[in-house]
Order: sequence, then structure tokens, then C-alpha cells
Amino acid sequence: MTQGLRKYLKILRISLVERLAYRADFFLTTFLRFLPLITTFLLWEAIYRGSGTDQIAGFTRDSMIAYLLLVQISRMFSSMPGLSTGIARDIRDGNLKKYLLQPIDMLWYLLSYRGAHKIAYIATTALPYGVLFLLFHEVFTLPSAWTWVAYIVSLLLAFLIGFFFEACIGVAGFWILEVTSLMYIINIVNFFISGQMFPLDLLERYPYVLDVLNVLPFHYLAYFPAMVFLEKKQGTELLVGLLIEALWALALILLSRWMYRLGLRHYSAYGG
Amino acid sequence: MWRYLKLWLSLAKFSLLGEMAFRGNFLVKIFVEVLWLAILLVFNFTLFQQTTHIENWDVNQYLFFIGCYFAMGGLIETLFLENCNQFADLIRTGDLDFFLLKPIDEQFLVSCKHIDWSCAPNFLLGLGVMGYALWTSGWVLNYSQIFAFVALFISGAALAYGFLLLLTSASIWLMRNQSLYEMWWLFTTLMRYPREIFSHGNWATPAGFFFSFVIPIMLVTNVPARMMVKTLEPSWLAWYALGSAVVVLIVSRYVFRAALRRYRSSSS
Amino acid sequence: MPIIEANGLSKTYRVYQKKEGLLGALRGLWRREYKEVKAVESVSFTIEPGEIVGFLGPNGAGKTTTLKMLAGLIYPSAGNAQVLGHVPWERADDFRRRFALVMGQKNQLWWDLPAADSFQLHREIYSLSAEQFQRTLGELTDLFGVKELTRQPVRELSLGERMKMELIAALLHQPRLLLLDEPTIGLDVVAQVTIQKCLRDYNSIRGVTILLTSHYMRDVEALCKRVLVITHGKLVYDGPLTGIAERFGNEKLVKLQFDGTETPGDLGAFGEVTSREGPIATLKVERLRVAEVMAAMLDRYTVLDVSIHDPPLDQMIAKVFEEGTTPAPELVEK
Repeated sequence: MTQGLRKYLKILRISLVERLAYRADFFLTTFLRFLPLITTFLLWEAIYRGSGTDQIAGFTRDSMIAYLLLVQISRMFSSMPGLSTGIARDIRDGNLKKYLLQPIDMLWYLLSYRGAHKIAYIATTALPYGVLFLLFHEVFTLPSAWTWVAYIVSLLLAFLIGFFFEACIGVAGFWILEVTSLMYIINIVNFFISGQMFPLDLLERYPYVLDVLNVLPFHYLAYFPAMVFLEKKQGTELLVGLLIEALWALALILLSRWMYRLGLRHYSAYGG
Repeated sequence: MWRYLKLWLSLAKFSLLGEMAFRGNFLVKIFVEVLWLAILLVFNFTLFQQTTHIENWDVNQYLFFIGCYFAMGGLIETLFLENCNQFADLIRTGDLDFFLLKPIDEQFLVSCKHIDWSCAPNFLLGLGVMGYALWTSGWVLNYSQIFAFVALFISGAALAYGFLLLLTSASIWLMRNQSLYEMWWLFTTLMRYPREIFSHGNWATPAGFFFSFVIPIMLVTNVPARMMVKTLEPSWLAWYALGSAVVVLIVSRYVFRAALRRYRSSSS
Repeated sequence: MPIIEANGLSKTYRVYQKKEGLLGALRGLWRREYKEVKAVESVSFTIEPGEIVGFLGPNGAGKTTTLKMLAGLIYPSAGNAQVLGHVPWERADDFRRRFALVMGQKNQLWWDLPAADSFQLHREIYSLSAEQFQRTLGELTDLFGVKELTRQPVRELSLGERMKMELIAALLHQPRLLLLDEPTIGLDVVAQVTIQKCLRDYNSIRGVTILLTSHYMRDVEALCKRVLVITHGKLVYDGPLTGIAERFGNEKLVKLQFDGTETPGDLGAFGEVTSREGPIATLKVERLRVAEVMAAMLDRYTVLDVSIHDPPLDQMIAKVFEEGTTPAPELVEK
């Protein structure tokens, strides 16, 4: 009798542990993912408290938090983890042949693959992000319909810039070996110059640095869409910004295709 | 004990030899770390253009804190992170079996096998930043303070190692799809800032208490840094940090062994 | 005292049944289903000091699992074992110092360093004295013929040379028991033969006990007098290598040389013709009918020469593996 009971207690214990493990997995990783964001908020609150002002580089405390949240959305669209290293690996290992033997173009194939991947990713993370935005809903003021349109356009262009920039680096793998290291360095610099760390306006004391960063495509990956949503880019500034973003997207598409074609010639000439 | 020290020295030597076979890689890694430190410092100076204090830390004290964090991170990455990161791979490929065959403590072999020398410069960079911060703040040499700092820094490293080992063991049955690198980086966000930023607001204060005293990850850097550039408040915090390092080391060893036992009874 | 004594060793483990599709994956987040797999079922045998025993079985039959239990890497679900006088899964230090396990498809040497460095590390791990280490290393590199290669990075060695280094590393602490899992996998024939020779020599010099699993019958034929056959987790044969034919081979190969330049066309009536070459033909004939068939054929044709063989061992083993656990029924009583 006691033995039978003990057996069922053991089964109960095992299945309980199992269930808890799976839920703990989900909650723990979600919690960890949001940690950097939360600590950054707290850091900024401390800075606002310490500075004694309400405005830092044109940002109130609320709009700063809104900015940091919106940058996450920008990166949801523009980050392409593993894209360039994947392309470079395919080139080096000779896996490229699968694209050459089949009637598909590698870059367009990867673009559609990434697109689908992004949609799935955004769908699965919608819930935790939704909760987070709901928690911080006070810091947002909903923008006008036109701003929404501009915001979505800027995000889609950010996706294209993110994709084709990484594609260019990956295709450079035809000529250089160390794409992984290069990407490491670019990612770190990008974290800073795309405005993920803080709004670029904080560099207002160094206007030439700002000018350079505004010409480069990187701030479109994080900073620009967030600023559009916050309606800090308006009128001609907004239109010019979007135009340059579109031009960058186009330029990177053309550059990556040109590099790819050149690389293929190089590849077949030297027999992969 | 002596035997383990000798073994560790050999492992360190062979890790360095192995690393030297790929000098290019080594240099790139160092360059990346220098770049990262530079960006952190730029961020830091940008912030201090807006305010004179972050909580009660002034610019030099905060700089010292960053140096302490960097040195701590560098130390953990050099000695343990790569090893622990490989643990999941060892399990997946079954190569863990070779570790279990050796007449050596498994925890030692799993967490110390490879010394990642390319991260060692971080430790030195962190020391440099701490030194610079002390110099600009006009610190006067005080041996007992240095001694206390070193002791608390080591205890902080032990605490961090315990947490890393816990996370590593947990990664066997939790988080099977995530990389330990990422999880560790996210988790150590909590030791990247002074504890005081968690002292306002109705959810931040309890969270700050939780991560200082229940899961004392914040103490890893806060206690040694405070020891050196500020005063420890409360004064028993140093003893609490030492005690929790001992407790976490014991608990993590127990959990690691449980994870191994689980591996050995579930694999075929 | 036997080196290995296994008694009713069993291993059952659970595998997670992954469900299909997005919905299944989501459901798996909350509820998981497992299937029980019996990898090893009640395996018992003993091995005496100095023996070389072959452990045969198809993929997934439970060879590696049994080996891992004997090495103390995993716990059995039932049964017990004594290896070198220890319960292996207690993994006493003393036990771990006295045996070695080498797996053909795994390498444990440091990839980017010369093997000599890995050996040095082994010396530290097993706390071997300097002179004992030097002496053993010298003997082993002589025996395996790789003296000049120990300073070369392991990644630059050929597969066969790498395997020799693995074996040397495993033998440095002079284990009394050597467990080998597929030691010649992926090697070419020449390398296979040299490894076999090294192992045989080492066994005769040092008297080390060896239990090895292999896919290659050649390894087993070259090294083992005794074999264990395992299929579907059950031990189906334990005995001399030569006994396999008696136990499982219910057919014989009859080789006939006929008068003339060609073989008769209607041989198929006597048995399955496996080859024809000029006047020579080979027939597969059931064991119990050999005499009867021979008589009938000698009656009918002019036969110049006859010989009767067992089918090649690997074919027989392959058949055992295919059929699972049931040996030829009429031979069970023997």
C-alpha cells in the first residue's frame, strides 16, 4: 500500500518538475531578455534625477523611455542575425552550388526566407512586447495616421537596408576570409552609431559627428524609425529622411547584386 | 590541491599554445574588446555631460565602477565562460563522456579545461580604467584598502562563477535552445550598474533588494567597487558578500552534480 | 577473479516524442509525451583477465550503451556489474585510473596541438611519474610506429595516425582494461590492419583485457577468439568465434569444378547458385541437405573437384542481425 502510494508520489513529482521546467524556461528567458531594457530605463531615470532638468537633448524622461522601447521595434525589423556569416560560410564551403544548380537567385531567396522568418518572429514575440508596451503605455502619445504610414515605410526600408547591408558583407566573403570577425566589429560599432545605445541627439556637442552619422545608413536601422514614431521628424525633414533611406536601400540592393555577380565570376574563374 | 594547481597551469599553458596557432583570431578578439570598452566610455562621458552624478556616484567613481565591471567580466570570460558555454555542446555530442572517464573532479575539468586567453586583456583594460579613475580623483595609496578590495574582488569573482555554473547546469533542462553566452550576458546586466539605480519606485526597490540579497548578483561588482571609492553601506555588506559567495559556490556544486547525474541516467 | 562481471544489465531511457506542426510545438510547451526505449535488456556475461572479446551487433543494438555502463558513464536501469572489482557507475578514482575507453568516432586529443602536448596533459591528469611516463610513452610510440609524428599538430595527421595517437593516450596510464568502440571506423584497410596488429601485440606484451565493438568482421576475426552478439538489446550469443557458424549458419557453400568448359545450366534445382565462372560454380545449400545434394550431383555430372565451406562470417552475422534473435530452429537443440 505505502509502496503503491510512493510510486504515485514519485510520478507526481516527476511530472510536476517537468511541467515547471518548461514554463520556467519560457519565463526565465523572457525575463532575461527584458533585463537590459529595464536596467537602461532605471539608469536614465537616475540620470534625469541627477541632472535636475526635465529635458536632455530634447528628450523628456517619458520620451527617452519611449525611444528606448521603439528602438527595440526598429531592431526587430532591421537586425539580421547570422545572415552575412551564413552567406560567407556557404561561399567557403561550396554550398553556394545549390543556388547555382537550381533556378533560384541566392539573394532573393534569402530575402524571402528572412521576410518569412521576421513575420514569424514578430508574431511570437508580440505577446511579451505587447505586455511591456502596455506597462509603459503612459510614455507614449499615439501619433497621427500619416505618421503611422511614414513609420511603417521607414520600418520596411529599415528591413531592406539591414538585409542588403549584411548581404554585401556576406558576399564580400568571395574575397575575404574573416567575415565573422568583421561582422563582430561592425555589430559593436553599429550598436552605437545606429542609436541603439542612446538617441544620437545626445552628441549635439559634436555636430560634425552627428552630420557624418546622419549621412551613413546605420541610423536608419534603429534611430530614424523611432524618431518618426515620436514625431520628432516632421515635414520636409521627414520626407528628406525617408527619401535618403529609400536611396540607401536602393543603393545597397544594387551594390549587393553587383558584388554578387562579380563574386560569382571570381568564384567560377577560380573553381570555388 | 597541489595536483590540481599543476594541472591547471598545464591547461593554461596548452590553451595559450593552441590560441597562438590562430594569432589573427586572437588579435581580432582583442580589438573588438578594446572597441567595446571605448564605446562604453564614450557612453559614460556622454551621460556625464548631462549630469554630475548618477545617484551618488560622481564621474570618477562611476568610471572606477565601469573598470571594475570590465575587469570582473574579463576574468570570468578568461577563466570560465567559454568552458561553460561548451558544456551544452559536450552533452549534445556525448563528448562529456571523456571528461567523466578521467580520475579528476568533473566540475574542475568542465569549467576550467580551456583558458580563453584572448579575453585576458579585458581584465588588464579594466585594471587600467580603475587605475586611471583613482589617479584623476587624487586617491592616496592605502595598502589595507587595496587588500580589502582584492579580497572582495576575488569573492565577487567566486560569486559570479557560482552563478555561471548554476546557469550552465540549469541550461541542461531549461533553456535548451538558448546559447549560454547570451543568457550570461543578459543576466550580468545586473552587475553592470550601481545598485542605487534600483532604489526608487515601487517595483525597482524590491527588485534591487532581491538581486542584492536573495540572488546577490549585484554584489559581484558593487561591493568591491564601493569598498574602493565610496564607503560600504551597510557596513556588514562585505561579510554578506563573502558569505553568499560561499553559499552560492556550495549550492552551484550541488546543482552541477545533480545535472550530471541526470545526464548519466537519461542518456544511452 | 574476472575483470568484468555483468549481471542482468538493462537500460531503458525515454525519448521525447516531438509533435508535428506549429500547433504540436505549442502543445509541447505544456505537455510532452515520451516513448520508452529499451536499449539493453538483461545482459549477463563475464570476461577473464587477458581476453580479447568482440562485441558484435547492428547499429542501435545496444553495444555502445553496454560499454558505457561498464565504463560507469551511465547508470543501468536494472542489473549489476563488477568491473575491476568496482561497481563502475560509482566511478571511484581508483577505478577510473585502471581502465580506458576509446571511441573511434570521437577524438579527445587537442586538435590544434601536437599529440605530445595532449600526452603531457594525460600525465598530469593521471599523476604519472616522469620516468614511468617517458618509459611507457617510448614503448607505445615504438609499438605503434609513430615516434616522429608526436610533435605534429593533431589536425595534420591522417585518420589512422590520429587513431594510433588516441590509443597511445588511452594506454599511457597502463590500464588493465581497454574498452574500444569502433576503433577502426572510417579507416582504410592498411590502417585497419596495423591497428589490429598493434592491439594484438600490446595485448600479448601487457596482458591487457580488451572488449571491442566493431562493424568490421575483419577486426573481430583478427583479434578475438570469443565474441558476444547482441541484437535488439539482448545477448543472443556468447562463445568462440568459430561457434557462430554452427549456431547461426544453417547453410553451407559447396564449390564444384565440373568437367568441360562450362557449368551445367540446371544447377538451380540443387540450391541457390551464388557464382559461376567457367567450369566452377558455387552453390548455397542447406546444412542438413548437403550430403543428399552431393550424392545427387555426383550421380548426374562429372565433378572434378568439390569443397565445402562455411559462408563468410560477415554474411552470417549480417543475417543474424537481420533476423533478430532467432537462430536456425533445428540447431537449437545441439
